[in-house]
Formats: sequence, structure tokens, C-alpha cells
Amino acid sequence: MSEHAAVTHSVGTIDADDVLVAVGLVKRFGAVLAVDRVSFRVRRGELVGFLGPNGAGKSTTMRMLTGSLVPDEGEALVRGLSATGPNLAARSAVGYLPEHTPLYREMRVDRYLEFVGRLHGQRGATRRSAIERVVEATDLAGYTHRRIHTLSKGYRQRVGLAQALLPDPEALVLDEPTSGLDPAEIVRIRDLVVRLAEEKTILLSTHVLPEVEEVCRRVVILAGGRVVADGGVLELAEGVGEALGVTLGGLETRADEDRARALLTTVEGVGGVAVASRGEAGRVRFLIEVEDRFSTAERVARALFAAGLIPIELRHEVATLERIFLQRTRNAGRAPEDPSSPQQPRDLDDDAATRSTGSRSAASRSNGGAA
Amino acid sequence: MTRIIAVLRRELGALFEAPITYVALALFVVVLPLLYFLVGFPIGRQPLPGLFEGGQASLIVLFTWLPFLLALLVPALSMAAWAEERRSGTEELLLTWPVRAYEVVVGKFLAHCALITLLIAVAVVPTALSVARLGALDWSTAWVGLAGATLLGAAYCALALWVSALAREQLAAFLMGASLLLALWGLGLAVTLLPARFAAFVDYGAPTSRFLGSSALGVVDARDGVYFVLLITFGLVLNVVAVERRRWR
Repeated sequence: MSEHAAVTHSVGTIDADDVLVAVGLVKRFGAVLAVDRVSFRVRRGELVGFLGPNGAGKSTTMRMLTGSLVPDEGEALVRGLSATGPNLAARSAVGYLPEHTPLYREMRVDRYLEFVGRLHGQRGATRRSAIERVVEATDLAGYTHRRIHTLSKGYRQRVGLAQALLPDPEALVLDEPTSGLDPAEIVRIRDLVVRLAEEKTILLSTHVLPEVEEVCRRVVILAGGRVVADGGVLELAEGVGEALGVTLGGLETRADEDRARALLTTVEGVGGVAVASRGEAGRVRFLIEVEDRFSTAERVARALFAAGLIPIELRHEVATLERIFLQRTRNAGRAPEDPSSPQQPRDLDDDAATRSTGSRSAASRSNGGAA
Repeated sequence: MTRIIAVLRRELGALFEAPITYVALALFVVVLPLLYFLVGFPIGRQPLPGLFEGGQASLIVLFTWLPFLLALLVPALSMAAWAEERRSGTEELLLTWPVRAYEVVVGKFLAHCALITLLIAVAVVPTALSVARLGALDWSTAWVGLAGATLLGAAYCALALWVSALAREQLAAFLMGASLLLALWGLGLAVTLLPARFAAFVDYGAPTSRFLGSSALGVVDARDGVYFVLLITFGLVLNVVAVERRRWR
């Protein structure tokens, strides 16, 4: 496709402020449709959270946007240029930190950065000053003579970020930059991303939802290879609706849990009921979509007491990113090719509870008091 | 050119970090001269005696061993070139940098060629100096043979790097590469077993025959140069295609 602006497609007209644009991206791996008509844009100066359950197609989309994978259909554009086209300027305009931070581990940090600089066409003094800049930005001073394999995971992550920053790109694509780091290092990398966002356009993929809530104003959520949400966090929260969180104990078997869920479903004013998490001693947290939290909470409490079920906790769930995520990705496992398949009740914890400790902490932070 | 040199330097650095490089060096510095002086070349219908037994001031035994040893060593040295990039994930990052596939392929090829040339030189030059002290060595034959061996090594490098670009694991790259190169080496031996009209064709096309029947004997033939350049180009083009295909899956 075109190397230029005024492209009208499912993302609308692309202008000079669109730094990264996915236009109807499709990618298949054999029989598996990994990415299905994904379209979104990242505007100049934005820091966009890129979310989705495992296998949603995030990394595949990021690989297409950074030029290491050619889409089967659609176009990945960087500043209006095809990411996989013959014009290498598109690749210089994006710094990429893949998941698991691949590095030439036998190399010294400074030699690795020199190598990357040379591949970006940097020469002599320009390269040296670029290396100084990224070493300072990533706080790697004192480690440049170390071989990469001798560094801790946190420092290796910094080296990965340093290589992404070396060409001074307009955009950064970061695939789970805090994955596997200790809490102190997570904070450092997150602070660095926030600092970088002051002058760069960033697409940030992570499973740590509180991190996204903290640093991103806008999120794109992928599920089953498709974009299921794209908008500001506050804007998406408005559409989530009200919900109650009910925690019951003593539900030792799946049959007990199903009976409790069936009971909750029959209460007037209750929309959907899903299991958000399971704890010890048969403790189960249900997430209940309601029309009016005050009146429904009372009816829920009465119904539970009448059935001999004592709620350990009953509270109003605020519209956190976790809830937006859970709601939008609820049907993520369904094959995208088969939109007509009937919707089956599905436990949220299959995705959410195992996704990350970040999700759990988001859940524990959700408040609003007892309804 | 800057990018090709950058890749060449990195690849050479990685090669000299790998223990297999030192095993190869030891093999060429110690084992190959021992075979030359003491054992000769006992494979095939016309075995060649070692220097001490045969008493001829010629390097032909050394050159006869080279295609076989290179068929095993070149894949061992090049198995990591692409397979390791793939395993560690650096290939994905490499494909996002503003560098053309051919620049990376040529950079890697030149690095492997440099190492193979070094290995051949450390085996041939000291041996030739020793032989020259024992008898009247024909130096022009030795230099032509050295040049021919270098071209043969370069062709093997191009083919083995292509195989490495196809493989997911280093071991698979080695086994596939060694099988291919040993098959090419075996073609030279099979010539005597084939009917005359096939034998002539195979003899013309097999790299071992091209080397042993020509430059190893001190014959300078431009057709040999063209043959090896074409073989190298063929390997490199396949390598570029294999790397570019990675963008599609």
C-alpha cells in the first residue's frame, strides 16, 4: 500500500499525527487465525496500553507494527510508511523491546550498543553521543563494560530499552517491559516509561492492569485476535455499568458454586453473574452485573440468607480497568471465525485470576464500600 | 557497507567465543598435519601414502583431507549463525532494525569465510614450510591449492549458513549441513563407481572434484573460479530468501 497520508480505511483518514497505524491487520499461523482485522492508531505523544489475555494476538500485532512480521492482509504503518516495505525509514522510527528481551548475551553492553548503532547507520561521534544518551537514560552507567549474561534481569531489560532508544525513535513499542522483574525494578522501568512518554509515542503491552491505569490514558484491548475495546480508560469505564462483588465461603465443590451462581442469577435486578476468583476453604468471589446497586444489593443479601448462604463480603465494585478488561475479554476464547456460536456462561477467573498478580491487586484495590 | 562490517565483527566475536572454534583450530593445527605426515589418505580406490611413507614433497594429501574435514567443521562452526539467533529471539529484533537481509547474510558469510581461511592457512602454511625444508616443494602449486581450498571453504560456508537459516535448532542445522556437505564430498568419491557419461557430469559438478582435480594440483583454471563464485552466490541467495521468509511466519 501507499507510503502516504490521506489513506482512508477502517481507521479513517491517516494524518501526520498518526505515528503507528494498524489497518485491518490479519495474520494466520497455519489454521490458526492469530490476528483478525485489527485496526487502531496511536497518535503522536500518546502512551497507549495494549491489553489482552494470553494468545489474544498482542505480540503478533506488535511484530507487524515493528516490521518483523508481514501481515497476510492489511497494513502496518509507521508515520505513513509500510513497516515491512522497502523504505527503511519506517524501521528507524520505531524502537522495539520484544517480550523476553532477546540480546546477544555474550557481548559487552557497550559493544552491543555500538553494534546496534552501526546497524542504524550511526557513525563515529553521532554513535558515541547516542550511546551516552541511552546509557544515561536507562541508568546503565557503570555497567557498560559488563557482559550482558552477567547482568541481572532488570539490567538486561535496561539494555533492551537502551537498544530501542538508540536511534532516538519517534515511537516505542514495548512488549511487557516489566515482566518477571522484582517490585523495585518494576517501579524503575515504569518511571522510565513515564519519563519517555513525555517525548515519545508509546504502545505498551502489559498484563499488569494497575500499571496501565497508572500511566496510560488510553487502552486498546485485544481478545481472540480482535480489537474489543479502544478508548480512554475513563470513557470505557462509563460503559461498564454497575456491579456488585459477593464473596461466599464454604462452596467446596463445583456443584455448590453452580447452585450459588444459579441462585444469584434469579435475583431481580441481576444481569450477569461470573466467578471472578476462587480462594481457600471454598471461598468464591462472584462478580454480579446489576441495574441498581442499592436495591439489588439488598435483594441479593436477602436471597443468600434465605438459602442459608452467608456472604463474607458484599460490596460495590467500581469500574476499574480490571472490570473493563474482564467484561470486554469475556468471550476471548471463542474462535473469531465463528461469531454465530452461542455464548456460553464462562468463569472470569479462568482468564483473570491466573493472569497476573497485578490483576489481583487491582481487584483488592477496588472499593466503593459495602453496598 | 557499514552494516555488513558491523555484522561481520559481531559474528567473528561470537565465533571466537564458541568452544567449537578452538576444537577446529586444534584439529587443523595438530590433527591434519599428523594425518598428512603419518597416515596419508586411505579412503577411496587410490589411497595416498603419508609424507614419510611416500617421500614426495607435495601437499596433495593435505588438500585431499580438506574437503572431508571442512564438510564436518564448516557446519559445526556455522550451525549457530542463524539457528541460535532464532532460538534466542535476536532474529526478531534484527528484522526490525533498518538493515537489509542481504547485508546480514553477507556479513555473516564473510565472518565465517575469514575463520575458515584462517583455519586452512594455519594448517597449510606451517606444513608447507616444513615440507619445503625436507624437499623441493613446488610453492606455486601450494599457493594455488591454498587459494582453491579457500574458495571451497567459502562455498561450504555459503551452503552451511543457508542450512542454518532453515533450521530451528543448532543440532538440526549441524546434521543437515554436514549431510549436505558430506554428500557433495561423496560425489567426488562416487565418480569412479558411475558409468562414464554420468561420471563426467558428476566430476564436472562436484566441488570436491573441482578442487582436487584442478587447483589442488596447481592448475589455474578460470572455470573453477566461476564455478565456485556461482556456488557461493547460489548459497547466499538461498540464505537471503530463507531469512526474508521468516518475516512471513
